[in-house]
Amino acid sequence: MHEVGIMESAMALVQRHADEQRATCVHRVVLKVGALSGVEPDSLRFAFEVVTRGTRAERAELVIDLVPALIFCGACRTEFPGDRGAIFTCPHCGDLCGEIRSGRELELSRIEMS
Amino acid sequence: MCVDCGCGKSIPFGVKVLSVLAPGLLRGKPATGAGAPDQGVQTVTPAPHSPLTVEVHASLLAKNDGAAARNRARFVERRMLALNLVSSPGAGKTTLLSRTVDEFGREHRCAVVVGDLETDNDARRLHRPHVPVAQITTGSACHLDADMVARGVEALDLDGVRVMFIENVGNLVCPASFDLGEAVRVVLLSATEGEDKPLKYPPIFKSAHVVLLTKVDVAGLLGFDCQLAIENIRRVAPQATLIPLSARSGEGLSVWYDYLRQRLLPT
Repeated sequence: MHEVGIMESAMALVQRHADEQRATCVHRVVLKVGALSGVEPDSLRFAFEVVTRGTRAERAELVIDLVPALIFCGACRTEFPGDRGAIFTCPHCGDLCGEIRSGRELELSRIEMS
Repeated sequence: MCVDCGCGKSIPFGVKVLSVLAPGLLRGKPATGAGAPDQGVQTVTPAPHSPLTVEVHASLLAKNDGAAARNRARFVERRMLALNLVSSPGAGKTTLLSRTVDEFGREHRCAVVVGDLETDNDARRLHRPHVPVAQITTGSACHLDADMVARGVEALDLDGVRVMFIENVGNLVCPASFDLGEAVRVVLLSATEGEDKPLKYPPIFKSAHVVLLTKVDVAGLLGFDCQLAIENIRRVAPQATLIPLSARSGEGLSVWYDYLRQRLLPT
């Protein structure tokens, strides 16, 4: 349950940008979260509610853009989506693959405020 | 506020190096704070009080990743192999490290930074005259982060140390997201757990360079199916080196020590 700490980092960035823009209200916060980031979107939503309480982002909408896992097969030299559970088997040659090309993202993409 | 469950209780959250059981001195100097670097911040409209969108694209772990990069550079500069040991509570991290510093540690000087929520019990268990050990208590945090590790490492006398073991807080979930600056991430799965743990907690296993299957000496007694566990590890973490071992019977330890020897940084 490290999502609260991670959301606190996100909100510190949001507050800083809101200060810089002299914004009084944050309407939307957009995060990019990889399928293999080790972070649960539901826990992030819960954390967002908790950490925005009493702030100018209290009524903001949290949008989570999920980034699917993209796996690289060393034998075929091709990438394939890692969307079938925890075991990544190359759809072309059947090899087990461990090289993750994307899916670990965890970033604050965009803030909408006024 | 409590950073673990969001319960809103006021908890004195902080990191302290509780004790240093080492010939070195506790300098107590906090690590230099890591500023979260901006990553291509673009402001669309600067006008206040009108709707505006700011494209930030900043990593939420930027602060930790910056501190991890500094740790990594320090380890390499000092020609130190750093390993981050991660597992569920009770998988045998401390027992393995105790025997490792007793045996391998006689050959190559080792140091340990160990994290727990409370107590310095592990540091006391690991303490030897030839092994500098720093205990970090995280208060309520469920994982070590790179800044905590920097503080622990700074507190130690690192003269001649070739291997830095970082024993993480027992947790198979959160430590997956936090780079500590290690060269090698070691994930332990013990024979007292379920054979399907790699399937249940894939992110941490997928991030492993090494998976140690521990307590294999008691697997038979417990009806733990080592072959099934090994198969699950291989399927979830095909990138990892797999070493079955027992820190009690000594089985597999020579393979573990060989692994460490091969990865030592040339001085």
